[in-house]
Amino acid sequence: MSEHKPRKSNESKPPKAFGWMAEYVDEASLLSASRKVRDSGYTKTDAFTPFPVHGIDEALGIKPTILPFLVLCAGLTGMTTALLMQWWMNGVDYKYIISGKPFGITPASIPVAFELTILFSAFTSFLGMFALNQLPKFSNPVFTNPKFDRATNDRFFLYVSSADKYYNRESVKDLLAATHPESLDEVMEDTTPAALPRPILLGAMLLVFAGLIPGAIILNMRAGFSNLPRLHVFFDMDFQPKKKSQQQTTVFADGRTMRPQVAGTIARGQLEEQDPFYLGFDPAKISATTGRSDLMLVSTAVQPPEGEPAPAEPAPAEPAPAEPVKTEGTPENQPPAEQPPAEQPPAEGEMPATEPATPTETVPAETAPSQIPATPLEPAKAVEPAPAAVPAPAQAAAPASGTPALNLPWVEKLPIEATEAHMKLGKLKYETYCSACHGYAGFGDGLVHKRAESLLQPTWIPPTSLHADRVRTQPVGQIFHTITKGQGKMASYATSITPKERWAIVLYVKALQRSRNASIEDVPVEDRSKLEEAK
Amino acid sequence: MNLNYDKASIELPEAWRAKTPIFAFVGVVCILFGAACFFMAPAADGTNSKAFRYLAHSYLANFIYVLSFTLGALFFILVQFLTRAGWSSSIRRLAEIIMMMIPYIALLFLPVLFMLFQGSSSLYEWNAEGITNSIIAEKAKFYLTKEFFTIRSIGYFALWIVTATWFFRISRAQDESGDVELSSVRQKWAGPLIMLFALSMTFAAFDWVMSIDADWYSTIFGVYLFAASMMAFFAMMIVISMSLQNAGKVQKWITVEHFHDMGKFLFGFVMFWSYIAFSQLILLWYGNIPEETYWYDVRLRDGWQYLSYGLIAFHFAIPFLGLLSRHVRRHRVGLLFWSIWILVAHWLDMTFLIMPNAGPASFFPLAGHLLGGLGMLCIFAALFIVRATGVPLVAMRDPRLPEAMKYANPLL
Repeated sequence: MSEHKPRKSNESKPPKAFGWMAEYVDEASLLSASRKVRDSGYTKTDAFTPFPVHGIDEALGIKPTILPFLVLCAGLTGMTTALLMQWWMNGVDYKYIISGKPFGITPASIPVAFELTILFSAFTSFLGMFALNQLPKFSNPVFTNPKFDRATNDRFFLYVSSADKYYNRESVKDLLAATHPESLDEVMEDTTPAALPRPILLGAMLLVFAGLIPGAIILNMRAGFSNLPRLHVFFDMDFQPKKKSQQQTTVFADGRTMRPQVAGTIARGQLEEQDPFYLGFDPAKISATTGRSDLMLVSTAVQPPEGEPAPAEPAPAEPAPAEPVKTEGTPENQPPAEQPPAEQPPAEGEMPATEPATPTETVPAETAPSQIPATPLEPAKAVEPAPAAVPAPAQAAAPASGTPALNLPWVEKLPIEATEAHMKLGKLKYETYCSACHGYAGFGDGLVHKRAESLLQPTWIPPTSLHADRVRTQPVGQIFHTITKGQGKMASYATSITPKERWAIVLYVKALQRSRNASIEDVPVEDRSKLEEAK
Repeated sequence: MNLNYDKASIELPEAWRAKTPIFAFVGVVCILFGAACFFMAPAADGTNSKAFRYLAHSYLANFIYVLSFTLGALFFILVQFLTRAGWSSSIRRLAEIIMMMIPYIALLFLPVLFMLFQGSSSLYEWNAEGITNSIIAEKAKFYLTKEFFTIRSIGYFALWIVTATWFFRISRAQDESGDVELSSVRQKWAGPLIMLFALSMTFAAFDWVMSIDADWYSTIFGVYLFAASMMAFFAMMIVISMSLQNAGKVQKWITVEHFHDMGKFLFGFVMFWSYIAFSQLILLWYGNIPEETYWYDVRLRDGWQYLSYGLIAFHFAIPFLGLLSRHVRRHRVGLLFWSIWILVAHWLDMTFLIMPNAGPASFFPLAGHLLGGLGMLCIFAALFIVRATGVPLVAMRDPRLPEAMKYANPLL
């Protein structure tokens, strides 16, 4: 293929010639002609065929390309890059424990190394093919001859370039003529103007301009402000014919969308809500130890007595409970707020605003019935009908340091035995889930904390040291409760750690605390001598 | 294309036929000496008491080793007809002969069945009387019983033998008539038979190999064995073809292009084996569940760790780099060297799959296992010669033979 770029025609000079092009009707004559040309010593040659012709490379004397070698180098580079990257990221720069796997290069690094090997190889073979073929090439002098169009259909062409060092116009012509081609033409310079046609130029500019429009609109929207309601593209997705909790409905006679629990049934997980093993405190003792404010604190699902179905539910005739949180309810869904919740404690009303990220988003919904003055809540029962135990809103909203002690009947004695196995389980789970923030020894100096400190995060609240007096004096049940429900910035771990494992963690935390405040009496008598020796 | 040929040039060399008794004798002697090796371990070694356990595992490993060549050949034949391949027509008869060795190899499975019905649980733990392991006990209730196991084994062999024999008969009939229709029939049935083959291969791998550790499972196990078999088959094909050519036969019909293609397959299946072996490893490693990872734990202790880690280099990295270049794949000595390498690596792989289950690695069991492997290879060679006697080594009337002779790999 010629290396010459088409130039604008210069009318003062005759058009330039780039070599000879011979046309053949079948591949056999092309192959024999190619061999002749090759044996005559010409190397700047090329063949154009409608389909791949086996043996043409050999017949033309085309040397194997260096592309495979480049691809091999690129593949090795990709593999090395991937392995170094992973070794540096996870083994050196940011040692983060992932599923307890070791740092640095592990079997899990191999898929990434494989992918980068392929990625680098693929890009190199594609771009390398482009570069070695000197693509993109918008025009080539071979196209000046209309006969050449049949190269994609049914004719075979052999081209000898004038760039060849042995090129001689007459001798090449004679050589090709001796191979009995169908036709033999000189490849001439393209004399048509090289400038882009004006419509194409205009069209391209229009396309570029149109491509800017979406970006401009987005930029405008992000910088500006609009009072218009948002566009509902899929109307039936934005306004679905369904009811959400706390809304009214005409389907049921009592007008409630949420259905009361059927008498005599137990909901999933409900049993666990009465068991200290799952709560960390004894719900049976709540009414004895706490006062009025506990109504919103915790709840246990105590079945209503027979014959008096769901005392906490409002009667059908009564107005439906108002939604405590009015976010963006559509007008038709908003129940009329006939009775403002007068007796509502202020902390409760503020709760959704101050702690929107409370993990239990159903808090407002579940505490709602207690806000209705008309609710026939009998003081003797002093329990909430809501099914889930939630931490006190004031507790959840306040930072950990200023928390007043929760006054709940905490479990004082570990419900699991303090065995070696439980201690090991607790250590494993502590190091998996807790150590990232609280540190391996519980000083609140975990990796996440160190990272936040080194990044000078202004909003970072340091994890609590488990050796602070405030934590040390906590009963086991309260520590369990903290793991279960979260505290301050700490999220709930109830979904990740089973109750038994949480108790094992409590056991381990207690052991950690004890280890910092131990006396020689804590060591078994037979082991004390070992300690003395170690001194 | 000149398809004239000398009849003698496509027959098994006379000298080979004379060697059949030698191969058979050496094979049997090797196996017997190997078996004796297991019992020669000094009692202090601690392995002597488990000598039979080692022997049983070693026999199974060596049996699977030789069986894998024939299964690879069967799949190769089916795939050639499924894809209507032309390039392979001239080497297809050799693969057909290897495929037709399945009936002979099936006889080598009888000792395993015999052992089961003797009530031995040395190899298959699920065959024991009172199984304490609850997982195995559950499987041993219905699936892993010696009766059902035998029925399934007979089923697998029946399917393979019927397929192989039928295809071979048609192929031989075409030698006489040259009827194109005979190719079409095989093309039509190759697809369904490949599906059956895939299922039977997977279940055979589960039953025969994976169930030696009946409370462990890996759903990719059948594919693992399949990948290993294909790789081993191509290595065996290259070795056999080159040996025949060195003896002055089929020189005209198997060209450097065919060797290049078989080399490409060999290279591809080296990669595929690694891919499958790694896929199995990464899931178990990442899940990190004791009941799944212990399979690797057994293979990474008691001396087996050298074999297991060695496989990464010996079975993947070194042959991968060795076979990467087309110049190697087109070079007779280079290709032969890597084929023999792969044959050894495949034997190590089968050892890795089965032997660690018997107990720690120690000298006498390993020596016995090696002798047994050599013996099995000798018997394989003897069976190949017996099977190939009287059969033309090239399917001369195959309608696609001219295509195979014309075929050339593009120069890149």
